[in-house]
Amino acid sequence: MKPITIAIASGKGGTGKTLVATNLAVFVARTGVRMTLADCDVEAPNDHLFFDVHPDVSVVEVPIPEVLAGTCPEGCTVCRDTCRFGAIRMLGGGPVVFPDLCHSCGACVDVCPAGMLGERQVRVGQTGAGVVQDGLGLVMGQLDVGQMKAPTVIGATRERAGTEGADVVILDAPPGVACSAVATLHGVDFLVLVTEPTSFGLHDLVLMVELGRELKLPMAVVLNRVGTGVVDVAGYCQSEGVPIIARFPFDREVAACYADGGLLVDGHRLGHQWFSDLWESLREQLASIGSGVPA
Amino acid sequence: MASGKGGTGKTTLSAVLVRLVARRRRVVIADCDVEASNLPVALRANVVTRSSFAGNPRAVVDEDFCEGCGDCLDRCRFGALSLSDKGFAVIDPWMCESCGACAQACRVDAISFVPHRAGEILVGKGPTGPIVFGRLRPGEDLSGKLVTSVRERAEGIANERGTDLIVIDGPPGIGCPAIASITGANGVLAVTEPTLSGEHDLRRLVGLAHQLQVPVKVVLNKADLSATGAGRIRAACQELELELVGEVAFDADLPPALEAVAQGEAPPSSLDALTVVRSFQKIWSRLEPWVDG
Repeated sequence: MKPITIAIASGKGGTGKTLVATNLAVFVARTGVRMTLADCDVEAPNDHLFFDVHPDVSVVEVPIPEVLAGTCPEGCTVCRDTCRFGAIRMLGGGPVVFPDLCHSCGACVDVCPAGMLGERQVRVGQTGAGVVQDGLGLVMGQLDVGQMKAPTVIGATRERAGTEGADVVILDAPPGVACSAVATLHGVDFLVLVTEPTSFGLHDLVLMVELGRELKLPMAVVLNRVGTGVVDVAGYCQSEGVPIIARFPFDREVAACYADGGLLVDGHRLGHQWFSDLWESLREQLASIGSGVPA
Repeated sequence: MASGKGGTGKTTLSAVLVRLVARRRRVVIADCDVEASNLPVALRANVVTRSSFAGNPRAVVDEDFCEGCGDCLDRCRFGALSLSDKGFAVIDPWMCESCGACAQACRVDAISFVPHRAGEILVGKGPTGPIVFGRLRPGEDLSGKLVTSVRERAEGIANERGTDLIVIDGPPGIGCPAIASITGANGVLAVTEPTLSGEHDLRRLVGLAHQLQVPVKVVLNKADLSATGAGRIRAACQELELELVGEVAFDADLPPALEAVAQGEAPPSSLDALTVVRSFQKIWSRLEPWVDG
C-alpha cells in the first residue's frame, strides 16, 4: 500500500523543521505506526545527527554527455544549438560539455547527426537508509559538496523512502520555495509548515502558503518559538484558512536539548505531550482530507 | 555572510553589522536569499526600482496539432509528460525542465515554448544605503541565476558610486544558490551556532568555500545556548584552521528590537543601545583589516 507522505517545510531556514520532523517520527513510530523519516534537506542534512544509524549507502548519479572518438561533420553546431542551458560550446571544431550547466535531458545526444555524443554517469550525491529502531527507518539524501543538482538527490531520496514499506513517510524539507522545495513537496499528501512569530517568519510563511496552494496541497502550521516575537501569524493563518495545529514556546531547555543532538520526546519534560498533541491534531487533519492513518 | 544551516543568524548579523559599517564607509547590500529575502524586511527598505527576471520558457502543447502519438512521452527524462483522457500530450509544469527534448521529438511541431516571468530584481533604499534583492516566484527554478543577477546589479551600483564594499547576505545550504552567492567573493563570514547541526553544516560550507577558493572566517552566534556545542565549534575551527572572529551571546532583547525596527515602530538607531552590538563592534574590528587586505 502506498504510504501517507507528510512534508515538514518552511520558507525560512532554522524555524525548527528538523526538530519537528525527528521528534514526530520517533513519537509516531512508538505508537506502532511503521514510519520512515526521509531527510530531503540534501544540502544540509541533519536528521542523522539525532540517531545512531549505520546507513546502507547508494550513489546518486546523473548522465552527462561526453564526446566520443571520431570527427564531427564540418561546421556542425546542432548539439550546441539544441542545448537550452548553454552547456555545450564549440571549441576547436568540436563540442565541449560544461557539466555544471547540463540538465541531463539527453537532447544533444538524440539530435547529433554523427553519433558523436555518448553519456557517462557522474556522481552528484548519495542516499543512505538505515534502521533507527523497530518500526522507524531513516533515509537521508546528501548532495556532494560543490554539486548543484540538489533536486536530483531529493528525487532519489524520496524514491528510496517510498520503498521502505512504511505506513507513513515524513519528509524533512529544505528551506526555500524554489526547485528543491518543489522536488520535495510535489505530490505529498499533507504539508506541515513550521514558522516563528517574527516578521521574517511571517514573510517567508506567506511565500510557502502560496507554493502550497499552487501545488494544491492541504496544509497546516506549527508555530514554533512562541514568545520570541509578537507578529500576528494566527491572524494571517485565519485569513488564509490554514489551521495552526501546534504552538511550541521559546525555551532555552529546548534549544540546549536540540544543540546536543537530543530528542525532546526523551529529553524534555513536556516533549512527549507536545508531540502527542501534534500527532493527534495531524491525524484529525489527515482524516478530514480522507487520508486514513492506521491506528 | 553564509551558513550551511538555516536560521543561524545570517540576516540578523548582517543587519547589525551593516549598520556599524555604514557609519564609517559606504556599503552596498545584496540579499542573495532570493527564496526568503529578509534583510529588506529587517532594514525596512523602500523599493526604488524593480525589473523583471525571466524564467526558462514554458513548454505548451497545441491541441489543434497534437496527434497523441506519445513520442514526446518517451523522450522526456523528467516524467513531465502524459496523455490526457482526450488523447493529447499534457505537460506537468512542476516536472518540466524546459529542455526542449519533447519539441524535438514531435513530428507535427505541436509543442512550443513561451517566455514567462520567474521573479524580479529590486533595488531598495535603506538606512545604510542601497540594497539589492531578488524575489523568486514560489515554485520557480533558476534561483542560482537570480542570485547572479542580484550580485551583478549590486556590483553595478557599487561601481557607479565608487563603493568598495558589498555585503552579501547569502542563502542557507551549499547548493546552486549558495554556490552562486559565494563564487568570486573575497571572503566568506560563516555564521554558525553551537549545535551539532550547526557544526555539521559549517564543515560542508567550508568544504565548498575551499573548492571555490574563497577564504573563510567564522562567527559563533547564540554561543551561550550550549556550552558543549560552543566547545565543539571552537574545536572544529582549530581543526579546520579557521579564525573564529567572534562569539555572540543569545540576547533576548535583540529579536524584539529588530522586530520593532522592521515594523517601523522604532528607528534603526535604537539597535545601537543593545549590549550585543558591542560584540559586533569587536567582530568588525577583526574583519575590517581582512576586508581591506
